[in-house]
Amino acid sequence: MTELVIQTKGLYKIYKNRAAVVDLNLEIARGDIYGFLGPNGAGKTTTIRMLLGLIQPTRGAIHLFGKDLKREKMNILQRTGSLVEYPSYYGHLTAIENLEAIRRITSGPKSRIAEVLEIVSLTKEAKRPVKGYSLGMKQRLGIAAALFNNPELLILDEPTNGLDPSGIHEIRELIKNMPRQYGITVLVSSHLLGEVEQMADKVGIIRDGRMVFQDTIDHLVSTASSGFRLSVSEPEAALGLALDLGCQGVLRDHMLELENMQDAKVALLVKRLVENQHAVYRVEEQRRSLEDIFMQIVREGSRI
Amino acid sequence: MMFRALSADWLKIRGKGIWFLAALGPIGLAAMQGLNFGLRYDYLMKTYAADPWGGLLENVTFFVPIALFLGITLICSLMANVEHQLSSWKQLLALPISRTAVFSAKFVQAFLILCVSCILLTVSVAVLGMLLGMGADRMPYMDLIRIGFLPMFAALPVLAFQLWLSLTLKNQGISSAIGITASVVSMFAMEFPDWVPLKWPLLAYIGPEKATFIGAGLLLGAVIAAAGLIHFNRKDVD
Repeated sequence: MTELVIQTKGLYKIYKNRAAVVDLNLEIARGDIYGFLGPNGAGKTTTIRMLLGLIQPTRGAIHLFGKDLKREKMNILQRTGSLVEYPSYYGHLTAIENLEAIRRITSGPKSRIAEVLEIVSLTKEAKRPVKGYSLGMKQRLGIAAALFNNPELLILDEPTNGLDPSGIHEIRELIKNMPRQYGITVLVSSHLLGEVEQMADKVGIIRDGRMVFQDTIDHLVSTASSGFRLSVSEPEAALGLALDLGCQGVLRDHMLELENMQDAKVALLVKRLVENQHAVYRVEEQRRSLEDIFMQIVREGSRI
Repeated sequence: MMFRALSADWLKIRGKGIWFLAALGPIGLAAMQGLNFGLRYDYLMKTYAADPWGGLLENVTFFVPIALFLGITLICSLMANVEHQLSSWKQLLALPISRTAVFSAKFVQAFLILCVSCILLTVSVAVLGMLLGMGADRMPYMDLIRIGFLPMFAALPVLAFQLWLSLTLKNQGISSAIGITASVVSMFAMEFPDWVPLKWPLLAYIGPEKATFIGAGLLLGAVIAAAGLIHFNRKDVD
């Protein structure tokens, strides 16, 4: 069994009259890039704050690196880097001074400042006060700060929020490299599936504080196929043939719409059609986009 | 761990005007008396002919508590604002450092800045006396040091309270309003019963029972700081 870097069991956070997180069971394995998805206000940031010990869970257990967060918080935070929502920085200080403030607390070597600035390509701008930075540069500085302590786990909350496409691309490339180059496990939250899809191995989708889907991206993709469409010379007769074979389907716009089936059955159907003198013009797989599936999950909250 | 946080805190307050404020208070206080004595030099020097240094200190004493309370309020607020301004708490507290260390570092920092102000008060009043020709030979060294530090120890409960307020509430308007109100009210401290903490800085310097009020200041300061620390350790960080 692979080692779990993050594991929560029955995690709850209840504010006065509102449940922000309900019975959440997160499981993130070492070396994974885990996409934590959900619409705004679904409980992503609340969960992440609990993982970092910034807020207290109402109920439930949090284990990071197999250790209880309550008991070994310092040890866990030592091995974790984070960027929570918009980046925190001291605007009147330069990038170097901002990182120096962190260095003084974590007591790392001075040379690490230049290293992390290099990783996020801010070396050239390092001596300017941060308040003059663009949002993308601030976000990169936030990531540099998160990387400062050589973390084994990186927790990034909406790291691409408010960035332009090239900024998003840069951050994405940066994150994708983390497990490969540095062996870092990454938890990245977002409200956009399209963004996470391109870097994550595994996704968790949260809605109204509840986890409604947690599995690999591949599994999510495999649920995307919803059936086949066939274009043939004589649709009505062809549909009869298909129904005889045990396929489920209907006729629409002179095309056969059949439900999802296995490859062998598709082959058999086509073979029969050809044997019965039908001209088969087209066999199409109907795919819903991942975005559609995401929207459906988020809307219905049903498990798929 | 506290020293690591403190070291980072010194870096963070750079260029925030905190040192300027810390110097402005005591030097301003001395300058005000410079004006007072300068304008009616002959009259005041005649009045205090027996003990000119004592007269100067008496005039300064009255303004020390309000200057202390105002200084404490503004220093705490400026310090806290460094973290509040861009919500740096979430980054700071997600670092491997205990909240106790973070809170203690802030307290120690505010205390040390205040100490610098107190030394400056002692020095600027001494310089003023010399400029007014009161003579170095009669300079009351001990009283000058006392006026710098005794009221400050008695003001520690206010420091602990203001620091806690400023660190807890993001809106510095509230903590500043409370602190400034307390400062203004302290002008009338002589009319208050002795148990009111706003009167303690005065009593710690001129009262017959100086030690009692210094002790009370240290004790109540420690109690409020401890309560603030417990709350800071438990509170959720947004």
